[in-house]
Amino acid sequence: MLINRSELRSKHVPYILSLVVGLALLEIFARILDVPYFPTVSGVFSRLMSLFAEGGIVIDLFRSLQSLFLGFLIASILGITIGILCGRYQLIEHVLRPYINTMVTAPSILFVPIYFAVFGLSRWAIVALIVDYAVFFLIVSTTTAVQSVDRELVEMSKVFGASERQRMRLILLPSSTPLIFSALRIALTRAVKGMINGELLIAVVGLGARSKGFARAFDAEGVFAVATLVVGVALVSGALLSFVDGRVNNWVPNIRRKG
Amino acid sequence: MIRIENASKSFQKAATRKQPAARVDVLDQINIDIKENEFVTIVGPSGCGKTTLLRAIAGLTGLDFGEIKVAGELVTGPSPDRAMVFQTFALMPWASVLRNVAFGLELRGVDKSEREEIARGLIVKVGLKGFENSLPSELSGGMKQRVGLARALAVNPKILLMDEPFGGLDEQTKRLMQEELLRLWELERKTVVFVTHSLDEAILLADRCVLMSARPGRVSEILDIPFGRPRTRDVERDLTYVDIKQKIWEHLRASQIEELTLQSEGNVD
Repeated sequence: MLINRSELRSKHVPYILSLVVGLALLEIFARILDVPYFPTVSGVFSRLMSLFAEGGIVIDLFRSLQSLFLGFLIASILGITIGILCGRYQLIEHVLRPYINTMVTAPSILFVPIYFAVFGLSRWAIVALIVDYAVFFLIVSTTTAVQSVDRELVEMSKVFGASERQRMRLILLPSSTPLIFSALRIALTRAVKGMINGELLIAVVGLGARSKGFARAFDAEGVFAVATLVVGVALVSGALLSFVDGRVNNWVPNIRRKG
Repeated sequence: MIRIENASKSFQKAATRKQPAARVDVLDQINIDIKENEFVTIVGPSGCGKTTLLRAIAGLTGLDFGEIKVAGELVTGPSPDRAMVFQTFALMPWASVLRNVAFGLELRGVDKSEREEIARGLIVKVGLKGFENSLPSELSGGMKQRVGLARALAVNPKILLMDEPFGGLDEQTKRLMQEELLRLWELERKTVVFVTHSLDEAILLADRCVLMSARPGRVSEILDIPFGRPRTRDVERDLTYVDIKQKIWEHLRASQIEELTLQSEGNVD
């Protein structure tokens, strides 16, 4: 895809410029202040490079990504399915609403001991926490997406004789996909947070464990190097999601979806 | 073809700061007989229940009393006999013109190649050749309603229900679409029930014109429109046309003024 000129000027240039200036400022502050635990940008980057050179970080990254992928997948399937049912059937919504409202507001960290107790010191405890972070938000958003379907379209489908299933498949689902995708993007960042918290608190694996190790050793550059990697993971997976979004929802007029 | 007998319906109007809750009679003992292949327009002030009546014929809403029969059968829900054209077009924004037009057939399980062939034919008929793969957002209002019309015709219904289909279009487009509809109707004379608030539309298109009044929604008069078919806009210069238009306007004016009086009485605190 070609980057067009006006988009380059209005979007990419300010974006990159802001990033460069921000990093430069951080570097300067870090050097002026010169306190422990406030690493320089250059220090963090060279640390990141050396971590990759050592190789162990790649395995950690891979493990974390596995949990993230699993958790996000489960959360997406559960969240969208339950959300659609809640949006379509008022009774289901009324029955589930108190629990969903509770879970969406309660800090997911609270449930860490439970997941730990149920799944033990395994990947599944982390996956459960990732699902917890993402799924309730997805349910609420999907419910709203389905409920905000154009009434006229529903009437139209009735006039032309749509069955219950056809209405779901041909009207409700396609009309709520743009909103569901927006929700997925936010849910993904929540899932990344869940992944890191899970790895920090529950099992001693992955990027979280690596970060914890650095923190114990008062290695600020190491901690921030891992944090940079996590942000990178979030950005890359977000961009992937945006790509799919752009393909699926290319009919949405006048909304340029940002990567 | 369509027999409407004593159709009555009321709904509860929620209380506002100025007015207490009240029951509003949207339809009050409506009786209309519509013959096969007849083009009937329904005119009335806003709130006279003309859209409710149309939705009841479509089977989208029930009646409190009375009944509607289509071809001798009681209306209990939507049916393939009756297709509808909506004021706000109600096109699926994610689907191409072709898919939108073929939608009714898709619902009926007609296979893809067959339904697309039928849809293509209708797209040509309504003058949208070349736009088969466009999305609704790429079309103007008039073109969108052509899609709406083609979609309704695609299921080959006996009855076409049209709910102020040109109400959202600008004047020139509206006039063009009226002439288009006259042309299409000549090709295939369906039974049409056409709700409108445009006087010219009500006369130009119709064999008969039903005048309704509001609160309660009643039929005040049914006018025969004596112009022959095929018809063109030339009838607008006919003296009879002017007389009919005058008559409809006097009726509308009276009900509109009555409405205003009611509202101002309601507003006294």
